[in-house]
Amino acid sequence: MLKSPEWELMIVWYFFLGGIAGGAYFTAAIADSFGGPRDRAVARVGYLLSLPLTAICGILLVVDLGVPLRFLNMLGKFSFWNPMSIGAWGIGVFGLFTLVSSVLSFSSSARRVVLRQRIGLVGSIFGFFLASYTGVLLGGTAQPFWGDARLMGALFLVSGASTGMAAISLILFLTGGAAGEGFGKVKKADRYSMIFELVILAIFLALLGSAARPLVAGQFAPLFWGGLVGLGLVIPLVLDFVGRRAKVLPAVAAVLVLIGGFVLRYVVLMSVQA
Amino acid sequence: MARTLAMFTDTSLCIGCRACQVACKQWNELGMEVPEWTGTYQNHAHFTDQTYRLVRFVEEPKPTGDLAWLLMSDVCKHCAEAGCLEACPTGAIYRTEFGTVNINPDVCNGCRYCVASCPFGVVAFNESTGTAKKCTFCNDRIHNGLGPACAKACPTDSIQFGFRDDLVTKAQKRVETLKGMGFKDAQLYGADSKGFLGGLNAFFLLLARPSTYNLPDSPKLPQRNVVVDSLFSIGSALVVGLGALLAFRERGKGAGDA
Repeated sequence: MLKSPEWELMIVWYFFLGGIAGGAYFTAAIADSFGGPRDRAVARVGYLLSLPLTAICGILLVVDLGVPLRFLNMLGKFSFWNPMSIGAWGIGVFGLFTLVSSVLSFSSSARRVVLRQRIGLVGSIFGFFLASYTGVLLGGTAQPFWGDARLMGALFLVSGASTGMAAISLILFLTGGAAGEGFGKVKKADRYSMIFELVILAIFLALLGSAARPLVAGQFAPLFWGGLVGLGLVIPLVLDFVGRRAKVLPAVAAVLVLIGGFVLRYVVLMSVQA
Repeated sequence: MARTLAMFTDTSLCIGCRACQVACKQWNELGMEVPEWTGTYQNHAHFTDQTYRLVRFVEEPKPTGDLAWLLMSDVCKHCAEAGCLEACPTGAIYRTEFGTVNINPDVCNGCRYCVASCPFGVVAFNESTGTAKKCTFCNDRIHNGLGPACAKACPTDSIQFGFRDDLVTKAQKRVETLKGMGFKDAQLYGADSKGFLGGLNAFFLLLARPSTYNLPDSPKLPQRNVVVDSLFSIGSALVVGLGALLAFRERGKGAGDA
């Protein structure tokens, strides 16, 4: 009989917000370096969003510890193949990148823009890391389903990408940036991510086989199928394809993607610990 | 490193008196807990932050129709390749010079990764101290030339304490004896240092399959997955990044590049 680590709502929020922070940051960096001048709004929103989210992530992690004042003990040691250890270091380093990129996002001098683009591309590595290592961390436990899931990190990464992109598009929509070209591009990138997420999810479940039972067949199954697969992936994709002309639909789709991202973390964490 | 110490629990000698469980509580000053109904004489159902030794009472149907009583005093296995120790990010969990695995309560910050990573469900979280707890192999006692309290208290020598190599030789002889007496399923669990988890420093002689006693038949080190999972994650990062790049690249430039 195994013991559950009691990683509950605070950790669900951490996994969710960490995914958005990582996804928004690398989306911003890619828009910054490979997009045109008109995509700068996407880059700025992405950088500025990742900074407070990463700060909240750090607070959630510290508060969830049994002895929060000892959080620095995590940094007393660096174990290379230990996701918990590299995670603590990774979130700190990523936080610095989000801070520097956010400050530089207000600059338009050519030299600083080049600097910001370069920093963004290096920081993206840490953004990808923050979005995915939590899945690898679960895969490295002795718990049923978590320990059997080889694609948990990959799934969290793709979900982090799509929720990060959805968050950027929602902020653009709410701040009146939906008319710009960047909005269309970030929606397009989000569609690619969602399609890839459906593919990864299918392989994830196929590889798990009967080990996926807590997710697909237990008391969490309605939430998984309805909340993540239906509401969080299929419906937003359909809305995006059929309703591109209607103004509100892309925003509705973005909200649904965000809900789906939260549901994914919730069902993965809680179904094993229920 | 000193010669590896071990505990050998021979379940064929256990009479279910729970002297080990009590001695452990007394010596380690572990508090009382609300009892649980488990449907058998066993109490508690699982290891807790206040229960490091636990006598399992397993009732097995015999071919004749009545029940056989399988008794087993269970404890932290002090694995040679320990999931909890590999999981610990602070260095609070360490290996002693005797080969046992211990938690330094002054360093542990209560992240609970060890709890999730123990293949046997041994490590438990203590809400009041905010730290992880488990059997210490009576670290204070073994550093003063005494055996663990549980082994000392055992009236039938079901729990034996000593050097690992000596105990393994003894255990192998005991299995042969039991097989000769007709216990066909008698087997050692964790004695083989080339077997699972590099061998257990608290190993067992069982009279039935490990799963009968609620033990995993072949436990694995959970961290074995980290490299593969990381590679899959990096692969998906490349695909996602490429997707974003295709969405954002400038058409004029993109056409030229392609």
